[in-house]
Amino acid sequence: MRESGNGETVYHAKQGPEGSLLTIEDFSLWYSGKQALFDVSMQVEKGFVTALIGPSGCGKSTLLRAINRMNDLIAGLRTRGRILLGDTDIYNPSVDVIALRKAMGMVFQKPNPFPMSIAANVIYPLRVDGVRDKSILRETVERALRQAALWDEVKDRLQDNALGLSGGQQQRLCIARAIAADPDVLLMDEPCSALDPVATGKIEDLIDDLRGRYTIIIVTHNMQQAARVSDNTAFMYLGALIECGETSTIFTNPKVKKTMEYVTGRFG
Amino acid sequence: MAQTQTSGLKQTRRAVLVADKIADTVITIGGVLVIAAVLGMMVFLVSEAIPLFKGGRVAAYSHYTVKKADSPVAGLSVDEFKTIAARVNRSGQVTAWHAPTGAPIKSPSFDLEHKQVTASAQAIDSRYMAFGFADGAVRFATIEPKTEVMNRRDLPSGLKTLDERDSTDGTTVYSLIPGNQIRKTWIELQLEEAIAMSPSARPIVAMDYRFSRFGERPTKALAAIDDQGAGTLLRAESKLNLFTGQVKTDVQKTDLPPLKNGVNIQHALVNELASSVYFAEKSGKVYRFNTRDVSDIRLAETTKVTPDSVDLNVFGYLAGEGSVVVGGSDGSVSIFFLLRRDGATTADGSMLVKTRAFEPQPSAVVAFSPGQQSKMFATADVAGGVWVRYGTSTNTLVKVKRSTVDSKSSERILLSPRSDGLLSMNATGAADLWELDIPHPESSLRTLFGRVWYEDYPEPSYTWQSTGATDAFEPKLSLAPLIFGTLKATFYSLLFAIPIALLAAIYTSEFVSPDVRGKIKPVIEVMASVPSVVLGFVAALVLAPVVENWIAAVLLAFVALPCSLIVAAYLWQLLPPPLALRIQGLPKLTIFFVVVLTGAYAAYWLGPTFERLFFDGNFKAWANGDRGGGAPFHFMMALPVVAIGVGAVVSRFFGARFSAYMKTLHPLNAAALDLARWLGIAAATIVISFVLAAGLQCLGFDPRGGFVGTYVQRNTLNVGFAMGFAVIPIIYTLAEDALNAVPEHLRAASLACGATVWQTAIWIILPTAVSGVFSAVMIGMGRAVGETMIVVMAAGNTPLMDMNIFNGLRALSANIAVELPEAPKDGTLYRVLFLTGLVLFAMTFVINTVAEIVRLRFRKRSMQL
Repeated sequence: MRESGNGETVYHAKQGPEGSLLTIEDFSLWYSGKQALFDVSMQVEKGFVTALIGPSGCGKSTLLRAINRMNDLIAGLRTRGRILLGDTDIYNPSVDVIALRKAMGMVFQKPNPFPMSIAANVIYPLRVDGVRDKSILRETVERALRQAALWDEVKDRLQDNALGLSGGQQQRLCIARAIAADPDVLLMDEPCSALDPVATGKIEDLIDDLRGRYTIIIVTHNMQQAARVSDNTAFMYLGALIECGETSTIFTNPKVKKTMEYVTGRFG
Repeated sequence: MAQTQTSGLKQTRRAVLVADKIADTVITIGGVLVIAAVLGMMVFLVSEAIPLFKGGRVAAYSHYTVKKADSPVAGLSVDEFKTIAARVNRSGQVTAWHAPTGAPIKSPSFDLEHKQVTASAQAIDSRYMAFGFADGAVRFATIEPKTEVMNRRDLPSGLKTLDERDSTDGTTVYSLIPGNQIRKTWIELQLEEAIAMSPSARPIVAMDYRFSRFGERPTKALAAIDDQGAGTLLRAESKLNLFTGQVKTDVQKTDLPPLKNGVNIQHALVNELASSVYFAEKSGKVYRFNTRDVSDIRLAETTKVTPDSVDLNVFGYLAGEGSVVVGGSDGSVSIFFLLRRDGATTADGSMLVKTRAFEPQPSAVVAFSPGQQSKMFATADVAGGVWVRYGTSTNTLVKVKRSTVDSKSSERILLSPRSDGLLSMNATGAADLWELDIPHPESSLRTLFGRVWYEDYPEPSYTWQSTGATDAFEPKLSLAPLIFGTLKATFYSLLFAIPIALLAAIYTSEFVSPDVRGKIKPVIEVMASVPSVVLGFVAALVLAPVVENWIAAVLLAFVALPCSLIVAAYLWQLLPPPLALRIQGLPKLTIFFVVVLTGAYAAYWLGPTFERLFFDGNFKAWANGDRGGGAPFHFMMALPVVAIGVGAVVSRFFGARFSAYMKTLHPLNAAALDLARWLGIAAATIVISFVLAAGLQCLGFDPRGGFVGTYVQRNTLNVGFAMGFAVIPIIYTLAEDALNAVPEHLRAASLACGATVWQTAIWIILPTAVSGVFSAVMIGMGRAVGETMIVVMAAGNTPLMDMNIFNGLRALSANIAVELPEAPKDGTLYRVLFLTGLVLFAMTFVINTVAEIVRLRFRKRSMQL
């Protein structure tokens, strides 16, 4: 087993049958002069669930938000390196950020439905895209809610305010919203951290259902969850990617001592 | 065990407890005091305003019997201080008495040389009387209560005491008045020589007499009619030669065209100017002569003022001679105005119009007395009821009952000169005297808030006019134009302020980085600290003349500035992204200012052309309605609406297909196509607006007279600018806080869905913060409603009720500031100003309460998020 600290990522991720969708190359990021990510390089396999784990403040959420450029709003942001979606560098100045975000759905820590009806929440990504065709919108509502395993619970009250749903339902609604526009990538930032175990179980089942259809990157604090739902797991520590590999290997036989310490609960 | 547990707890230190107790008490007392102060203020305002709505009351009452009259009563008289009252009989006999007690006072009598008096008249000023004789002659008389103030030392001895204040030597009453002085009151009579009135020396049956002073020249007007229907008008003006002291009297006597034989005239009426004369029959038939031009006198109108089978018992003027009071045998009392009417069938185009009906008395009205200074009057009915009424408000102020009822209905009543007493007397000598306390007879809910038909006004109106040039002027105290003015100023300033403030709030909360926001926000908040008097001063003395000079350019700027910004934003989009990124920040801001200045300069430069094209070369003449048509203005107003409509239609029906097609094109071609689309929309907008404007003009719609009209320099547009400046920071800062309070996770969710910042702002942030934004607008509105100095200085203070943005207004707050020096303490105007304050208080209270309720609801809702 290796000690960490030599700056090299130990990389033994499982290759997907369809190749990789996202390629992160030597990506570093600074918030007003303070470096938050250090030369991260990894590949996200298409159709896989990739988990990002690591102690608080290790930069996993920052990395996730860098992928759909949600960090852009922060003043004094600077990046180096590339993140390639297919073969486009998403940090190229000519990239249309809006179109980029449309290609990536995102689910946040806290369920954040908009204060409008359930149906309006689901079709919001289509609405901002200018889709007005009623039949398309209706179909999307049903498809997305079915995929998010929420359809049966809400089909009779699609026009009710989404804030009336329970926390777990709200989070599934947010997932439905994130997949409504049929994105290539689904980014999940600790989607279960605000939910009870039953709701968490449902979300995990849902992630399992969505595997293969979407490329999912999930940030989680819950190592059991990462072990349960992901194909590959990336362990980050102090802004650097320490180890990225097949989930079963990471949790049973990590190659780096730091990873071992983390997954066995020695720190974190 | 328990012992060890308690000793284990650490005791809170005594000093902490004491400090806590003190803070608790001080804060409680302070809070209660604040609430009490606000409530106290409201209670005070209400208590100052309440007397306006109270009628009157009888402060004291006395009744007694004086000497029986030897002939019918010709008139009553009482002095200003209600010390001596007197009755004049048709025989010329004068009976005087001490008014409060009825004790007889000796008085001379008129020596009418035993001629038979067939008619008598008394002017509104009860000192002036006239007798009409059986031989067709008329004599003027004066019964004047003289007063003189003297030192108490000079009080003669041997006086008979009348009451605690007064004593008499038989002919003169000495009253003790404050300041250790004595007021002497006695009666003096004057009788003038007879003037022959009836052309055929027939007995005079009815007459009316007016005495007035036009520029210190005593002027008499008298109309008399004899038993054959021949009327005569007399006008006498006395001139005093200042060098010789001689009085020269010009008498002008004119015979009126005779009425047909057999008329039975009972009442006559003439005004001070002797420009119109009425004779009325008992049946209620009124003959009106227009005597404005004595060389061309004609019977102008014959009309009936009472219903069939109702006798006309009372026919007289109120002070000011605009209102003719008609009392009928059915107890009805009403007021007629002589008004110029289109389509009147009368010879002079004017006609008597019934404008007010009063609460009817239970039995026939038999006597009437007008107040000398106001529109107050009293009517007496045959059953003994005497009602004091107010002409303008139609309110009945006081109802009293006479002690004795004379079956022969020879009743006479008289309102004292100051309208603070009412004397009633009949031929038997039974008299009643009521001391009246009616502090605010002219005000009522209707006169203060409603539409009132004032004398000489063609129709009922909401009018505020608190002071006038003549004594007969009646204050018109309708608060409606002031409330309207406040709302108008608020409306136009919010029309200007809300879009700017909200867009600025959206801009800083959604579009700029927190650093920039942290700089912009305090700067805008500093705007709120500019004293409003400075804003008003600048608006009135700098802005108003500039706007007046460059009005066309100012109007054009409303179009030019947004257009130049939109064009600039469009061009910005066409910049290559790397370049656009590089010049973000300060260069972009500089460009923005250049664009705004360019827009302003374009407006200034194109102003005259714009004026020529749209307003026939002269905006002010156009606004007056002197020239040009309404179409250009319709066109201008229609432009933005049509542009939005056309844009919506295009994007609704072609938007999706168009953007799909655009995606297949090279970016540069797509941009060119997009530009072409914009130009197409603009062209369509112009064509449709033009057609719409022409159509509206053909249908006869003209914008002038509505929201635009006559241009006045101190106008609402300036108020809108200046007050907008005062209101923008308030709305901006509160709305910005509300927008910022929308949880960040909603913003992130929306952006992550691929929404643009603008879409996020409009579809997520604004709807979520809508109640906060609404309450910001309401609080801004509260500020605008209560704003004083800007409206005082910039609004022209004309209490008008029209929506014309180019005309002035008078707001409630400005009214208080403007009228305060005119209002003597506890007078009606004074109390009305307090009422104005109360209305203002109520308006701001309601607005702020609504804002607060909405804000609380907002807080509850946002807590769910």
